[in-house]
Amino acid sequence: MAMLMDLDFTSFGYSGTTTTTTTTGSALSDDGCNWNAWSPVVDWEALSGGQEDFHNLVDSMMDESDFGLQGLNVRPNIDIEEECHYLYNATTTDHDESNGPEDLKGMRLIHLLVAAAEALEGTNKCHELARVILVRLRELVSPKQGTNMERLAAYFTDALQGLLDGGGKCGGNHLYKAEHHPTDVLAAFQLLQDVSPYVKFGHFTANQAILEAVTHDKRIHIVDYDIMEGIQWASLMQALVSRKDGPATPHLRITALSRSCGGRRSFSTIQETGRRLTAFAASIGQPFSFHQCRLDSDETFKPSNLKLVRGEALIINCMLHLPHFSYRAPNSIASFISGAQTLGPRLVTLVEEEIGPTGEEGFVGRFMDSLHHYSAIYDSLEAGFPMQGRARTLVERVFLGPRISGSLARIYRGGGEEEGCSWGQRLAACGFCPTNISFANHCQAKLLIGLYNDGYRVEESSINKLVLGWKSRRLLSVSIWSSKDNES
Amino acid sequence: MPNHISEWIEDSISYFPMFFDDPYDTGDLIGDSWWVEGQNLEQDLIDDSFITNSSMTSATLPPAPAPAPAPTDSTISLDSMKKRKLADDLNSMKPRKTTNKRANAQDLGRESPEQGLVVARKQGGNKKGSKAAGNGSNGNNKEGRWAEQLLNPCAAAVTARNPSRVLHFLYVLHDLASLSGDANHRLSFYGLCALKHHVSSAPGSSFSASTDGKTFASSNPKFFTDSLIKFNDISPWFRIPNNVTNTAILQLLAEQAQPSNLHILDIGVSHGVQWPTLLEELTRRAGGPPPLVRLTVVAPAAMNDLSRNTAPFANGPPDYDFSSKLLSFAKDLNVNLQINRLENLQLQNLNSQLIKSSAEEILVVCAQFRLHNLTHGITDDRTKFLKVLRSLSPKGVILCENNTDCSCINCGDFATGFSRRVEYLWRFLDSTSIAYKGRESEERRMMEAEAAKVLINSGEMNERKEKWCDRMRHAGFTGDVFGEETIDGAKALLRKYDSNWEIRVEDRDGCVGLLWRGQPVSFCSLWKMDSAA
Repeated sequence: MAMLMDLDFTSFGYSGTTTTTTTTGSALSDDGCNWNAWSPVVDWEALSGGQEDFHNLVDSMMDESDFGLQGLNVRPNIDIEEECHYLYNATTTDHDESNGPEDLKGMRLIHLLVAAAEALEGTNKCHELARVILVRLRELVSPKQGTNMERLAAYFTDALQGLLDGGGKCGGNHLYKAEHHPTDVLAAFQLLQDVSPYVKFGHFTANQAILEAVTHDKRIHIVDYDIMEGIQWASLMQALVSRKDGPATPHLRITALSRSCGGRRSFSTIQETGRRLTAFAASIGQPFSFHQCRLDSDETFKPSNLKLVRGEALIINCMLHLPHFSYRAPNSIASFISGAQTLGPRLVTLVEEEIGPTGEEGFVGRFMDSLHHYSAIYDSLEAGFPMQGRARTLVERVFLGPRISGSLARIYRGGGEEEGCSWGQRLAACGFCPTNISFANHCQAKLLIGLYNDGYRVEESSINKLVLGWKSRRLLSVSIWSSKDNES
Repeated sequence: MPNHISEWIEDSISYFPMFFDDPYDTGDLIGDSWWVEGQNLEQDLIDDSFITNSSMTSATLPPAPAPAPAPTDSTISLDSMKKRKLADDLNSMKPRKTTNKRANAQDLGRESPEQGLVVARKQGGNKKGSKAAGNGSNGNNKEGRWAEQLLNPCAAAVTARNPSRVLHFLYVLHDLASLSGDANHRLSFYGLCALKHHVSSAPGSSFSASTDGKTFASSNPKFFTDSLIKFNDISPWFRIPNNVTNTAILQLLAEQAQPSNLHILDIGVSHGVQWPTLLEELTRRAGGPPPLVRLTVVAPAAMNDLSRNTAPFANGPPDYDFSSKLLSFAKDLNVNLQINRLENLQLQNLNSQLIKSSAEEILVVCAQFRLHNLTHGITDDRTKFLKVLRSLSPKGVILCENNTDCSCINCGDFATGFSRRVEYLWRFLDSTSIAYKGRESEERRMMEAEAAKVLINSGEMNERKEKWCDRMRHAGFTGDVFGEETIDGAKALLRKYDSNWEIRVEDRDGCVGLLWRGQPVSFCSLWKMDSAA
């Protein structure tokens, strides 16, 4: 537990002047809500819609194939009758005061979206039908307002429209992100970071595993696949300088992989990140050096480009699919994983999106899963910022909308195959061995999640993997691995 | 509040975001609606020019009825204003007659200023037609017909007893169904009503209510007549079969050596509007009208309330009776007309006594779009009825029917039958959206709702033309060919309508087929008693 105490949450406030805990804690209470400062008026819309849990709608839709068939053999038409009767009655009371109509509209939107996806691909493919459904959806929803489901449907509508218009050719969401003002991106990232555990869960769990793996090392070398703004390492440095057992503060070297092509947003260029990390390390007395290693022009990784020093504990850090991350091509990730294998690292930390088991194959099945996935994220964000419709809208616009577009485009292009396999499985296939998640690390994750909404849960899906979920939906996992020769 | 990430990132950011002012890009949406408006505008312009031209035509041309140069058919309404319209029609047909079959609008345009007006009108109509065909949304291809991509899978799910799939499609249809808009939206609307009707526990109760109940039977007689006449004026759906029937009657009369009384057995859906034209044509015959013209109208029998309500186009308003108006019209023309109406008679119970036919008169049976309501399954009412017809010893039978596959439960499962009914309705709605130039009206609503009854009709709707021909031959009839005048007249009349309509005469069986966008809609056939039988 010592490590956990060292990683007391106070130390995660990057500026040192306030604590993250305060922020996240207060976000849960209406009075002390910091985001009121952002919001000139109370967002009544978000308030009234705050109790809605449309995620259940998606759930129930996914389950329909089961519940609807019972008793069918006995009374052939009865279920159809009843359900249609329900539909008929429900649709005739559209403007009821209760939650019913909102749920109903949610159901309508889901059915329309799925029908549009079916019309784009599959046995009843009909692009004209898809077009008509999307026109209807645009009448019903807007990404800027309405309930969670309505805004989510708006982004899915946009994404499907993109597929219909361009056949999903312009997929990469980093292009999308470049359209947003850097300040918007920053603000959205901060919101995401403060009101949801998505970013911290990955960073903290990975960092804790790293700290546990390098307890007695004097030199640590971390190769980071996608360093982004580098915020993960600030907390690691704080933990390293304050560690009580083991040798004095070890030397930390970070090698950030960089892409040859530019187009990254200005505040997170690798140079900027390096500069910030160096300054931060100096300010807290952490011996530190920073390097870059370029990926090839096709974004593949060559281990020979890496400068290794004997005696360093080598850590491979691979953060994928965090809500604010750019899309990385599977080829690039695969080359990083297989390249890393040849280096025999002490530890590999992997964060990746969880993909649900899909009954239906192909585009429509993957589309439904995607809808399920993002509806859970939307729900969790709403629970995190119940009062801040506009703030949520920003996160959705900057991060989630583009991710939805990119993800659907890839599913569409790949016919549902491309994103089906988890990178953890790939690591295992490359010969990496699962490393136990420590009890302390598991507890820390639970503690972290406890600071947020009740709907989040942490699940130890295997000895080396923690999964962050929202209600029944698994969203993100951290897994830790080691090379065979390092096993003790 | 402390912005720790901002501080972490330090001076990379010069000011804090004003994201509340963010103008979310709604360019796409605006672009869309702008485009749609543009479309409507263009459409209105076309429509307006059309109206201008046609009103010019009627204003310039003398209102006096022109002497008819050839057997033609035009629906005569019973008031004087409509007679003027008839004059227009006749006038507009005249030049085509003189320049023969190869004549087209451009040839006509060079000939005379008077015909120039006709050309302008025709072009207006053509532009509309080709535009609709060009934009693809109303085309005959699978892509443009999206409503069927929801209705047919839904019916298939009903057949497969998959309630969650059914519900899925019902949800989607519910959101896309509309009584206005293009044919697909309308088809979705009626299809949705029919599917809900099918899966609901109280058959027969909800359909007419959910389609607003504005069908023939629930309209007032004046509105009903006006709507029907208007429809015949803008759509050849019934007009061509009526026209072919009328000229075929004249053809049969002409074949008789000496003047005899004419007895017409009207088993049809024209509700009397086809007969004024025939009476006019009779007066123009070389020998004048027959001494007596008898019209025996067989009103649809109510087997039960359900079937009475669901056979499309057969049932007029309960208090509708065209007899008195037609009689007075005949009187004006000096035609000796008798009308007899048989109510509540099962078709297969017809006999000579009931229709009071005699050996001296020329009996012609006009069966239009009614026989498909006879079952052909276990109890083969169709064959039974055709044998009854044969026993009446008519001089001729003119059979006009839908040229579609059978949609009864014996010929396929629910999904198969439903998709055929939907296809029939698609052709109707697709053609009416052009006929009414995309405009909404009570008249259009009624015509379409009446056609939509096909979706829940308990009858068969039809078999293909070939099967009907087999049945007729089996019943002791032999096929005859329509005269050249009949076919030329029908083709000339068809030029008045949208260019997607087409008449095809089969050399093999002599039937006159009416097609919409190259797809068969109906056929007319002429039969005489097989002397060998």
